[in-house]
Amino acid sequence: MRNDFAVFILTHGRPDRVLTIKSLRKCGYTGKIYMIVDDKDDSIDKYKTLICDDIDVVIFSKDDISSECDTCDNIDRKNIVLYARNSCHKIAKDLGLTYFLELDDDYSEFRSRMLIDGKLCTIYVRDFDSIADAVIEFLENSGAHTVAFAQTGDFIGGAGSRVFKERLARKAMNSFFCKTDRPFKFYGRINEDVNAYVLNGSRGELYFTIADVSLDQCTTQAHKGGLTESYLEMGTYVKSFYTVICCPSSVKVHVMGCSHKRIHHSIDWEHAVPKIISSDFKKGDRK
Amino acid sequence: MALFEITKNEADETYTRKTQVPQYVPSKTKPHIDSLVDYKKYSQLIRNINESGVSEEEKKFLRFGASRHLMFNYSLIADYYAHASKEMQELMEQSALVILDIDDAIANGYVKLSSDIEKIMNTTGDRTKDA
Repeated sequence: MRNDFAVFILTHGRPDRVLTIKSLRKCGYTGKIYMIVDDKDDSIDKYKTLICDDIDVVIFSKDDISSECDTCDNIDRKNIVLYARNSCHKIAKDLGLTYFLELDDDYSEFRSRMLIDGKLCTIYVRDFDSIADAVIEFLENSGAHTVAFAQTGDFIGGAGSRVFKERLARKAMNSFFCKTDRPFKFYGRINEDVNAYVLNGSRGELYFTIADVSLDQCTTQAHKGGLTESYLEMGTYVKSFYTVICCPSSVKVHVMGCSHKRIHHSIDWEHAVPKIISSDFKKGDRK
Repeated sequence: MALFEITKNEADETYTRKTQVPQYVPSKTKPHIDSLVDYKKYSQLIRNINESGVSEEEKKFLRFGASRHLMFNYSLIADYYAHASKEMQELMEQSALVILDIDDAIANGYVKLSSDIEKIMNTTGDRTKDA
């Protein structure tokens, strides 16, 4: 793996269950991994026991970064991932990296979904380094602020699912391929990834999810530590409203699900982000 | 009018139908400039602000806030851009009302990415057919 790239795993209170490390190695990733841990984590010493040749720990100050973060509320609690997310570009710069991939700590697998003989099949990633190289090339050439893998749940509906058909979506969640000198901010106590791609996207920044690779994540709220407490405290009802606060002209809350109904954000993409069009439509110096 | 209208969201489907990966193809028809933005919510808020008894400084701030409820229709905006003057186009670009895919770098870049990943997966991937 190129040495100007590393994977950052954002983790808190789970030094014995950083599943993503094992998953990355199983998928053939050979490069450097940094666990990004906040200075208020009681288990810092345990995280440090995981340090080896290609795994390291970076500790950041929540108090220092908090002045640069907009939680979109006035709750005086810092048990959220926003601070870690907004620290990553600076950490990457300090480490001398050109690119990095930001992951959470509870990913179990990376895979591709492909149509083979008319059926949607799974092929598990075993050469993660080459996948990362390909995504970095697209990140560089497209000018995107970040490129993300899809989530396995995006393919509910199989080959007819929207993500599978659309291939490239204007959003980014759970995994973020980033360029160090192309920083962007996350916003909000929770739903910070959605808030970022809708708010920053409305201002012309590009956020992409590719359908070609997806990640598997442990079930939210079933894995102690991390953001679980925050999700259980607030629920998806409050979570969804953070994105409404950020972009009230394009986001609403709605009821989703069939038997198990829940409140979720609903983005009206027609009103959310500017369209990408060919430069052939530009008048003057171009054709 | 309710604070938040609840309507069936069909925009995603529209977006999918109209979009080539990931470029939008503008219409051959130039839309009227008044159709590019939905002012309904904004106008209601401005009316309430104007009729209120708060100070002028507060009204000024609230008017800025009301602008967050202007609903830009980015398909129509892209349609308009394609027919606009050079000067208008440049101002629209500065405000990121459209994103120009210079020399199709995004579209072609994605095609290459997808092709590269397919090759990688076909040569090194671990195949497990779905149940």
